[in-house]
Amino acid sequence: MSRLLDIDGLTLELHDGTRLLEGISLSVAPGETVGLVGESGSGKSLTARTVLGLVPERSRLGGRVRLDGREVIGAPARDILDLRRHAAAMIFQDPRAGINPMRTIGDHLTETLRRCEGKSAAEARARAIELLADVQLPRPEEHFGQYPHEFSGGMLQRVMIAGALTSSPKLLICDEPTTALDVTTQAEIVRVLVELRERRGMGMLFITHDLNLAASLCDRVVVMSRGRVEESGDARRVFTAPEADYTRRLIEATPSIAVRSLDGEAEADASAPAGPMLEVRGLDKQYQLRGRPPVHAVVEAELEIPRGGSLGVVGESGSGKSTLARMIVGLEQPDRGEVRIAGRERSTAPRSRAERIAHAKSVQMVFQDPYLSLDPRIPAGRAIQDVLRLHGGLDRVAAEARALELLEAVGLGERHLAARPKTLSGGQRQRVAIARALAIEPELLVMDEATSALDVSVQAQVLDLVAQLRAQRGLTVLFISHDLGVVRRVCERAVVMRRGEIVEQGPSERLLREPEHPYTRLLVDSVPRPSWEAAA
Amino acid sequence: MALDSRTVSVAAREAAAEAPRRGRWSAAGVRRVAGKLGGLALTLFLASLLVFFSRFLVPGDPVSFLLRGRKPSPEAIAQVTAQYGLDLPPWQQYLNWLGGALTGDFGRSLQYRQDVSTVIGERLPVTLMLVVMSGILIAIVGLSAGVVAALNRGRPLDRLTLVGLTVLSAIPSFVGSIVLIAIFAVQLGWFPTFGSGQGFGDMVYHLVLPSIALAIVFVVLVGKVTRSSMVEQLGREHVEVATSRGLKRATVIRRHVFRNALGPILTVSGVLVAGLLVASTIVEAAFGLAGIGSLLVQSVDRLDFPVVQAIVMLVVTAFVVVNAIVDLTEPWIDPRSAAGASAR
Repeated sequence: MSRLLDIDGLTLELHDGTRLLEGISLSVAPGETVGLVGESGSGKSLTARTVLGLVPERSRLGGRVRLDGREVIGAPARDILDLRRHAAAMIFQDPRAGINPMRTIGDHLTETLRRCEGKSAAEARARAIELLADVQLPRPEEHFGQYPHEFSGGMLQRVMIAGALTSSPKLLICDEPTTALDVTTQAEIVRVLVELRERRGMGMLFITHDLNLAASLCDRVVVMSRGRVEESGDARRVFTAPEADYTRRLIEATPSIAVRSLDGEAEADASAPAGPMLEVRGLDKQYQLRGRPPVHAVVEAELEIPRGGSLGVVGESGSGKSTLARMIVGLEQPDRGEVRIAGRERSTAPRSRAERIAHAKSVQMVFQDPYLSLDPRIPAGRAIQDVLRLHGGLDRVAAEARALELLEAVGLGERHLAARPKTLSGGQRQRVAIARALAIEPELLVMDEATSALDVSVQAQVLDLVAQLRAQRGLTVLFISHDLGVVRRVCERAVVMRRGEIVEQGPSERLLREPEHPYTRLLVDSVPRPSWEAAA
Repeated sequence: MALDSRTVSVAAREAAAEAPRRGRWSAAGVRRVAGKLGGLALTLFLASLLVFFSRFLVPGDPVSFLLRGRKPSPEAIAQVTAQYGLDLPPWQQYLNWLGGALTGDFGRSLQYRQDVSTVIGERLPVTLMLVVMSGILIAIVGLSAGVVAALNRGRPLDRLTLVGLTVLSAIPSFVGSIVLIAIFAVQLGWFPTFGSGQGFGDMVYHLVLPSIALAIVFVVLVGKVTRSSMVEQLGREHVEVATSRGLKRATVIRRHVFRNALGPILTVSGVLVAGLLVASTIVEAAFGLAGIGSLLVQSVDRLDFPVVQAIVMLVVTAFVVVNAIVDLTEPWIDPRSAAGASAR
């Protein structure tokens, strides 16, 4: 069988000698979908870009990359342009960044037709509208003149797909095309891609960090790590009987929503007789914006976490889950309703310094992006010591000793005391952020998408750390996430939010197993499942 | 607040995508333009107050200037004062002046004994020509230096351009003028040293050196802004997407990099206009040009306040109008600004 794409022993070296790819080999046949999975920095994106000749400036390439029977490496610019125009097209991760915000949707779609194929304006327009209909956008004629900012992320990703299809490519390269989208939107985009693949018989190279997604979509997978191929083969075989150690670890680290056996299921433990640690009653928040209808971010939220318990808040972007968290922490003032932490009223704005400190001492938050939530100038040890000295009144020596203890508790050590955030990895930074939040022994820890920016293996470490801290210290946790699998792993109970309203709550296992509200069911059904399980 | 605005913008975006397509001339657009024009009028009004009443803060009496060299009798003083309307209360003087200014009558020059509009009218063409020629030079040299540097970023050509621009920026325009005169006018004799010439062609020829001297500092400004704006756009993902679709590099640069980089460049250009008018005073003095700039210096020197007021109002008006135009073209450059969506 002739192969559409054949990569053999591909190496890539930057001009300073850093080797980013080490002998990558993979192939894609017509009509076949090959998944390229791995964590950040594994080189999967770079491998895919090489196919289209999109390599970093002044880098050196080795090996062979044959696309549609023609060699890419070392090809003259004319041939590369021709390959990009006719053989393969690429869909990028973030449609909001990937489509020029200053030009219309129509311009994005007709640009290549008019400038590369020499089609007339009318022909190009007709073709563009046809493609917009192909990706199931509701009003193609109207969309043609609209600008990207008028579209939601999911709609824009469809535009990106339509744009890639203008050239009728034989190979479609998808670089994390759904990572920036909500899970229900992801499901829609995947449906569109699958349908187009069948209809056009395209080969597909699908890059993703999400093993569940790869398993739901791909015939074969290639697992990459640190610029090498760890393992490749039939998707079902790789995911059910992995040979490489790395693959096995990756699979273990990936949270799944598959419901385990039910007997061990612990409903909220009755061994906590004291009153609830967090009590939220009728919490309501509206945003008024000039010239726009008000946005009801949180509607009459009611929830409760027992002492030592953990509650997950699940929802898609815009569901109000972050606003809820920020009101509980005191970063936002609710319009109505009350927040009680350990029985004390916390919903009014703290007036004095003492009140502010008392408030901070009762609840701490870990933010989504550890790259942004740590001050780049302040070493990890000092970030923690500052908190200790503010709240605990410890002297320098005591604070330093305590900071070290905390770093050790989150799996870091003495050498990290003086480390500035930029020298730490994402996982290490999030550990520092957690250590800082725990330094004053808060009664409640709020984690807002605290693992979303991390690779799965790092996420697994952080989740284990949270579980361990809960067991050791009886910490109460409010865990905000869009990922049902992660919430299931951390929380006994969960609430599902949609457009500011809590639509369902209950034990996490129960929500996954027998969702009652249609929206919960939609969320659960949208999570990708391996194709062999779905068929069974 | 970041999280809230994100929540809100998602909702707003969905609403916008659902709503029927709005034209460029939507109600909101018209309101925007009307608001801008109102702001423009208000700015000019406040500027006129400042310009007019600042005369009362300056030491020196216009009447004694008018009667300079003579030993005036009290009657003569009273007569001159009445003739120029200086006996009226200040607010009435202001209204008279404003009424005149609106119809182009800025009163009479004290030193030339002519209408201010005539005095300025004679000199305006030279300054306008100087500013226009300079502007063209700045656009061509500044933009190309910026584009060349950005496209070669990190390479020797980029560094060379940056060093060149930095060296130029250290040359004040009076030094630049003297050097240009010394080399091209005196040594090589290619260009005249003095005056603004007769007729259009001759005027252009006379103004070559002055416009270069005037342009130097602004070329640096435009060059640097162009470079950084282009470099920022070059790193954007949509540029890579465009490249991946098989567009020629030149097309990608023109349609996706340069076009998107225009915003900051235009903003700087707006500020630049006032700078050019102000800096022209120095260059006009150095090249002996009879333009608005040299007239301003002279009039300040001789307390010829009607002329000073008229010129300052002219500069302020030019500045405000150009910036209003820049503001109004923004939705055309970046459609997001019209919708009030956050720029990324």
